[in-house]
Amino acid sequence: MNTFMRWAGFIVVLFIAAPLVIVVPMSFSNASSLQFPPPGYWLGYYRAYFTSVDWLIPTWNSILIATATTILTMALVVPATFALVRHKFRGKGFADLMMLMPMAVPHIVMAVGYYSYFGDLGLVHSHLGVILAHTCLSVPIAFLVLSANLKGFDRNFERAAQSLGASPAKTFLHVTLPILRPGLVISSLFAFIQSFDETVVAIFISGRDAETLPRKMFDSIRQEADPVIAVISTLLFFVVLLGIAAPYFASALRSRAPKPSRPAAAH
Amino acid sequence: MGISLSKLTEKTNIWPWLLLAPLGIYMLIFFVVPLAEVAIMSFTEPKVSLANYQKVLTGALYQRVFLNTFVTAAFVTLCCLLVGYPLAYLMAHSKPRTAMLILLLVTMSFWTSFLVRTYSWMVLLGNNGPLIAFLEMIGFDKPPQLLFTRFSSTLAMVHILAPYMIMNIYTVMKKIDPALIRSAESLGARGWSLFRHVYLPLTAPGIANGSVLVFVICLGFYVTPVLLGSPREQMIAGLIGHQIEEFLAFGLGSAMAMILLVVTLIILTIYHRRFGLDKLWG
Repeated sequence: MNTFMRWAGFIVVLFIAAPLVIVVPMSFSNASSLQFPPPGYWLGYYRAYFTSVDWLIPTWNSILIATATTILTMALVVPATFALVRHKFRGKGFADLMMLMPMAVPHIVMAVGYYSYFGDLGLVHSHLGVILAHTCLSVPIAFLVLSANLKGFDRNFERAAQSLGASPAKTFLHVTLPILRPGLVISSLFAFIQSFDETVVAIFISGRDAETLPRKMFDSIRQEADPVIAVISTLLFFVVLLGIAAPYFASALRSRAPKPSRPAAAH
Repeated sequence: MGISLSKLTEKTNIWPWLLLAPLGIYMLIFFVVPLAEVAIMSFTEPKVSLANYQKVLTGALYQRVFLNTFVTAAFVTLCCLLVGYPLAYLMAHSKPRTAMLILLLVTMSFWTSFLVRTYSWMVLLGNNGPLIAFLEMIGFDKPPQLLFTRFSSTLAMVHILAPYMIMNIYTVMKKIDPALIRSAESLGARGWSLFRHVYLPLTAPGIANGSVLVFVICLGFYVTPVLLGSPREQMIAGLIGHQIEEFLAFGLGSAMAMILLVVTLIILTIYHRRFGLDKLWG
């Protein structure tokens, strides 16, 4: 049983890994269409990506939209999380559930709603429209991360500060916020990624004027499978690798025997 | 004393409401209203009637797409379980270094965009790709078309959704007390019997969690089936998109969206009653 599971596990490792790494050699290929193994190698498609307005504008749009989405999401979610974690009131259970609802509704359903609703409001094909929609979709993940952090918060630190004469505002600024900072950072990061990766709603409402990178990639894959996609995939691959590996290496440096901690992804 | 205490707790505190208000108003305007608009359109476009639902629920094309979606989602969930269980087992029962490397890989996969992973499968399964080359090498004269079939979209969806299953099962496996396994062994349980009667039931909550999550995401999956699947075997989300983009058939699209939404919410409500929705995502 044990041996069987282990062998099966190793095969699955290959199944998971192969599609992740194949984009790297593909990005250096000089083939004009999908071909693997590549007939030859060059950097032409990297040049094509970094010089083509068709790809750089969607990249810029995505960064802009994800940044604005993160700021707006945090501005709304932080106070709401304090209310839901630290106070008891009627309807709290309902409010808790509502925070998670955008995660439960399939994105295609929201896309139909936004397409029609934002059409009425004149918000389709605009950055603002995508930001407003993405903020809604980022609320649940930001809330889940932040509320988990806030629940584990030891309020004795605040009581100690106040007993030493700090005002509530000072306590919040100098005690609560610094302790919560890791939670706030991770929560913002998740909101950013949620927006940066969101595809379905962006396909329907971003249009040509606010075209995001996922929308551009989707269209390109559907129409011609432009080899530049392999370049973007490789760049995204290394960004993710860097983001995930950095904490591992940091903890490996700190302690000689690193334990496999549960990754942020599971939250 | 008792009276004053209950008075104190009953005093309506305005603070939580003030803190919740901005988000509450925002969600009302940008979440509830668009959803309500979908619900309304499903009954009123192009005119007020139940015609959209009648067409969607009785039309042969729509019935086939709904059936296809459920069968695909169930099959993908089963495959994710078959793929995810051994990997979670390997992670939970390996040396820390190996476990960490696999965890890194699964996390990588989880965080890599759907689109990137979909594109990778286009390369792997394409007519000039490695899998076709391999099939030719082992003697297929005319290898079958792999891309743009049910096979390619299912395979890619299993790959994309497997991390959800793996993480849920792994979390449960890590918590299993080794003493339980040892005591089962000391009572004579071995091999398959040990797995069937002790280990598997202990991991059941992880399986339930992962399965609900994968099934629900798969039901509403748009990107991968549209890009990799056969145009003749659409799933609900793809057909909704098609109705809206190609035909501007908002009524029909909304009616299908409402059915997808209701089915999703029923599954999640049952789950919420038993486990609590906040457990689903971790």
